[in-house]
Amino acid sequence: MAEHDLTPRLALHLDRHLVLPLLEFLQERGLYPEEEVLAAKLRLLAGTNMVDYAMAIHKSLHHGTDDDEVPEDMVARRAEVVASYVALQEAPSPLVAFLRDPQLVQLLRSDKQYNARMLQERFQIGSDQIEALYDNAKFQFECGFYSDAVAYLNQYRVLSTNGERTARALWGMLASEILNRNWDAALEELNRLKEIIDSKNSSSPLNQLQDRIWLMHWSLFIFFHHENGRNGIIDLFFQDRYLNAIQTNAHHLLRYLAIAVVVNKRRRNMLKELIKVIQHEQYCYKDPITEFLECLYVKYDFDGAQQKLMVCEQVILNDPFLGKCNEGNSITVPFRDEFFENARLFIFETYCHTHRCIDISILAEKLNMRCDEAELWIMNKIKSSKLDANIDSVSGTLNMTVNHVNVHDQIIESLKNLNKRTYMLAQNIVEPAQAALQAAQGD
Amino acid sequence: MASRFWGQGDSESEEEEEEVESEQGSDSDDDGGRGDAGRSSGGNRYLKNQEDDSDESDTGHRVIRSLRDKRNEEMRSIVDQMRNAMKINDWVSLQESFEKLNKHLEKVVRVNESTEVPKMYIKALVLLEDFLAEALANKEAKKKMSSSNAKALNAMKQKLKKNNKQYEEQIQKCRDHPESFEDEAADDKDMDDDDDDDADESDAEIEDPDKIAMSESEEERDEDDDDKEGWEQKRSKKDKLMDKQFLKDPSEITWDIVDKKLKEIVASRGKKGTGRIERVEQLTFLTRVAKTPAQKLEILFHVISAQFDVNPSLLGHMPVNVWKKCVNNMLLVLDILQQYPNIVVDTSFEPDEKETQKGADYNGTIHVVGELVAFLERLDSEFLKTLQCTDPYTKDYVQRLREEPLFLVVAQNVQDYLERVGNLKAAAKVALRRVELVYYKPQEVYDAMRKLAEQPEDSLDDDDAEAGHEHQAIDDNRGPSPFIVIPEVVPRKPTFPESGRTLMDGLMSLIYKYGDERTKARAMLCDIYHHAISDEFAVARDLLLMSHLQDGVQLMDISSQILFNRVMAQLGLCAFRAGLINEAHGCLTDLYSTGRVKELLAQGVQQSRYHEKTPEQERLERRRQMPYHMHINLELLEATHLICAMLIEVPNMAASTYDKRRPMSRTFRRLLEVSERQTFVGPPENVRDHVMAATRALNKGDHQKAFSVINSLEIWKLLRNRDHVLEMLKLKIKEEALRTYLFSYSSCYESLSLNQLTTMFDLSEQHAHSIVSKMMMHEELHASWDQPTKCIVFHSVDQTRLQGLLLQMADKLSVLVESNERAYEARTGGTLEGVPPPRRRGEGQDSSNMGKWQENFVSSQGRQGGGNRFGYSGRGGGSGQSGGHQRDRGNQGSRGGYGGGSRFQDGRGRNQSGSSARGGDGGARMVNLNRVGRV
Repeated sequence: MAEHDLTPRLALHLDRHLVLPLLEFLQERGLYPEEEVLAAKLRLLAGTNMVDYAMAIHKSLHHGTDDDEVPEDMVARRAEVVASYVALQEAPSPLVAFLRDPQLVQLLRSDKQYNARMLQERFQIGSDQIEALYDNAKFQFECGFYSDAVAYLNQYRVLSTNGERTARALWGMLASEILNRNWDAALEELNRLKEIIDSKNSSSPLNQLQDRIWLMHWSLFIFFHHENGRNGIIDLFFQDRYLNAIQTNAHHLLRYLAIAVVVNKRRRNMLKELIKVIQHEQYCYKDPITEFLECLYVKYDFDGAQQKLMVCEQVILNDPFLGKCNEGNSITVPFRDEFFENARLFIFETYCHTHRCIDISILAEKLNMRCDEAELWIMNKIKSSKLDANIDSVSGTLNMTVNHVNVHDQIIESLKNLNKRTYMLAQNIVEPAQAALQAAQGD
Repeated sequence: MASRFWGQGDSESEEEEEEVESEQGSDSDDDGGRGDAGRSSGGNRYLKNQEDDSDESDTGHRVIRSLRDKRNEEMRSIVDQMRNAMKINDWVSLQESFEKLNKHLEKVVRVNESTEVPKMYIKALVLLEDFLAEALANKEAKKKMSSSNAKALNAMKQKLKKNNKQYEEQIQKCRDHPESFEDEAADDKDMDDDDDDDADESDAEIEDPDKIAMSESEEERDEDDDDKEGWEQKRSKKDKLMDKQFLKDPSEITWDIVDKKLKEIVASRGKKGTGRIERVEQLTFLTRVAKTPAQKLEILFHVISAQFDVNPSLLGHMPVNVWKKCVNNMLLVLDILQQYPNIVVDTSFEPDEKETQKGADYNGTIHVVGELVAFLERLDSEFLKTLQCTDPYTKDYVQRLREEPLFLVVAQNVQDYLERVGNLKAAAKVALRRVELVYYKPQEVYDAMRKLAEQPEDSLDDDDAEAGHEHQAIDDNRGPSPFIVIPEVVPRKPTFPESGRTLMDGLMSLIYKYGDERTKARAMLCDIYHHAISDEFAVARDLLLMSHLQDGVQLMDISSQILFNRVMAQLGLCAFRAGLINEAHGCLTDLYSTGRVKELLAQGVQQSRYHEKTPEQERLERRRQMPYHMHINLELLEATHLICAMLIEVPNMAASTYDKRRPMSRTFRRLLEVSERQTFVGPPENVRDHVMAATRALNKGDHQKAFSVINSLEIWKLLRNRDHVLEMLKLKIKEEALRTYLFSYSSCYESLSLNQLTTMFDLSEQHAHSIVSKMMMHEELHASWDQPTKCIVFHSVDQTRLQGLLLQMADKLSVLVESNERAYEARTGGTLEGVPPPRRRGEGQDSSNMGKWQENFVSSQGRQGGGNRFGYSGRGGGSGQSGGHQRDRGNQGSRGGYGGGSRFQDGRGRNQSGSSARGGDGGARMVNLNRVGRV
């Protein structure tokens, strides 16, 4: 199943810290040998300041072997990190001291220029100190103290006048909020960042494209956790620019888009567009989920669709974003269940649309259900008047009611409208004339 | 040659003759070798020439005498001509004859090796002088003369005066003793020398320099003669002294002498009487005596541009051997540049007089004026021109084609050099040139080229080496060995990576980074083309769509537009091979909509029935032609287009018997109508006939016959994966046959079993099921499956003829209303908001089923943009200039179905119209308010 794993491709567009949860998930699923995952983690952590964690992993990785001693360079690095952390804690810069005093903070206003001047004049806090705030935040972030990082960055964002670094601070905040699992705040940051990316016309198109792809990747964390994320992902990904970005350089995101569309009952109208994109990009990217949609809506190959659907289950379970379990209840995987429910419905609808008479047992097979289960399911559909059909229990078939638009109705329908339009037109022309006439008579 | 300088006596003449001959022989070897057997005609001429030479030396005296007589005859005849001209008072022809006479005189003098002027000449001068005086005296006659005649008279007056000064004494003598000048012929003969035939030959050539560009073989001989001529001339003129200096005392030559001479030669450019080839030779000589590398470089630049000057007209091409020498010179230039990195070539810098005097040991940078890229580009276009001018069915063509690596190696080296010095913009330009030589080559051809270039013992290279050696030998004869010896630092062999793709990728990344807009666009097109021929349709398509090239084609130059058309054609072929019929049709249909494919692809001139082209236009068009080896097979292209159109159009026609839906392919419809009008249908002959025959069969649902007709086409053997393509085609034909059958005969059935369908059309059950399901979903077929019995149950919802007509009427009425509304809007300037927005037909259908969208993007784009297309169709048919046509056509190409970056626009548009419909009622009120306000 590892061939459908997207982690390597996703990781290219994520921050180091954001990859960690993905690796955790992989470790849990046991898709890869434990050592490999651990080694990957270790490599990942080498770039951060989370030395303790790295040490722990190192130990567990080399557990039982000769070299379970922590290597020298790690120890040295730990000392270094701790030293600078302690220094940072004990001797806060004047600006940090200023910000820690709530009364002084009251003095700040929303005007950045004013703040800068005020800090400079009254507290001798220059712009280099403000910039130092950013570096602090970065340090905290690397250490894994995400909430501290957010706090620092927030202050930095308020004070700084450096546009580019503010944008970078926003990225940092977004990452921190995601890692804090603070979805509402993260969504806010996301939108803010999106505005900046879209409005920035100075940067090259290539950078913009890259930023968008990053944004989409990061947003996956939010959208698959936030309660309103399912609409959010469709809204974001289907925007022209973002869809283009997907088609240009991030085809694998189509999986998430496909899942989101299938799962979301209210966005069924996007399905057509999705199919078009999937078909367009089938040379670059395909996985069971897109293939399922293609079988169903392009080839009308129901058997193929059903087979693909079976494969989809494993894909979803192995995906770090989709396969997450409900808290406390490890058996249900919400996305899998919803996806299957909706996919079944898709098959069923299409099947009914082309058939007049269906054997229920065959239908059950296509829907991946047991026969009686299927019958019950269909009965419910009919009862809730979602399906215009009846069951012939003797022969075990489902008979569809075929109703066609009468040709007469069709003609009448198309002509009715014309009448109204012409009338409107005539009125629009005549009324001013009459009004003018009356006005003339009135005089 | 050197022997001539001191060889005056009879005793040495024989030796000299031999030497000349051997030289010629080696030259001919050299040239013949390079030209190989391909230039058989040239070789033959040479042989003949050689034979002549040897004959002459064998039989010697008698022949020479007769030639001598002949030459005297010639002079006499010129004099006679002059006499005739005098009689009719024709000064124009008189002037011509006079010039001819003077030229002739020079040779006679040289041949005679004496300073004495033939008496005949003096007599003629006297005659002329008298006549001139007479004419000038006669004022009235002068007034009557035509303007050109009068002009000639005046010119003559001045010339004669100047000319006669030299011979004043003799003229005087002649006037005194006219009788002594009567029998000069006999005396002259004795004074003649053996050298004569040589000179005579060159005389003939010199007399009409226009012949130069006529044929290569002649060219070579010409050149040989000319350079002798050149050196002789020099010797006879005042710079004789300097030449002697060059030749005898190498140590005495200084930078100043060389510089002076260079300036002199350069200044002579374009002046009358300086042979172009002669200049090249003189300059080449100078390169050898150059004192510093920088000077050598400077002179080499002059040599190269002089070589480009050899061919004066735009239409003709540079002689092949000159081209090759030019290539060698370029390599030499690069050698120097590599050897002396402190020498910088640029155009912006204004070098001082003595810049090139700085020697090899000078430390600072030395600036030399020159433009490597321009030279290279010129070299490339000359190469292309030769191919354009050569008949592709001759060996010459193949031979010339084999010289491509020669150019590639120069290009590669120039690019390397430019990259080294950091001039990346220029490097990108050079890279583009290289790309343009590689992009159209599929991997097989590329491999062949690579092999050709890497073969060390190849006859071509052998000859080259030999030629180089020979050249050296001649050089030694002619003058001192070069002062500045430049070792061959730059590689003389091109290096190619394994696959063409790698090469392309490398060049592409350079171009994309540093190229200018046009370079990038062209490179992009080449890239797409290359992807298309390597069967990577998806990549090629994405590149095309992402680059937004088709938005801007009509603004590009014509050659880029042609390239674009070629790309579209190749993309169509690629899509066809991949089995993407709709895409293929989308790509090709616009190429064929005008019936001028040849012209669009620049693969031949098509005669237009409606307007004649001016010669100017024709010439322009001929210059744009693609060389034969780059052609896209037109038959294959036509077959592809027609088959695609057939597969799309036949079911379409069957589906819409009542309402004449807009045909998907007008061209195809038209062809079909023409073929249906024929009374008797013969067996198919050309591609078109074949496809028409297949169409007829397909119309009846006879897929076997349709396929066998298509299969019998010859052109399929041109395809690489022929079996695969034919298999695909067979399947497609079956599918479409099934669809056509269902469209046509569904009304005759109550039910139809799947089994029957599969046996009829030889399709798998699953496949047939999927096709029929698709048709049901799209509401093309009013039927549904009966699953337990596996049969199709048809619903009788087919419209009667009356109903069909009514529906059509409804459509037309809605169009009418729409145009009314539009008229109202145009009049009032406001929109008619109270009216629900016009419902598009397509939209209505779309919402009811999962229909049109899922056909591929090309056709859906086409269909959505249907309204627009009508608007476009005023395609400026009458625009007279061919340039205009080309542009216009590029435009059409750009419409080729591919909607550029707006891939998703149609979907969006639909949504918007839907939302505005909802707001209808509120809008009506607003209209009222507006009205009140206005009144």
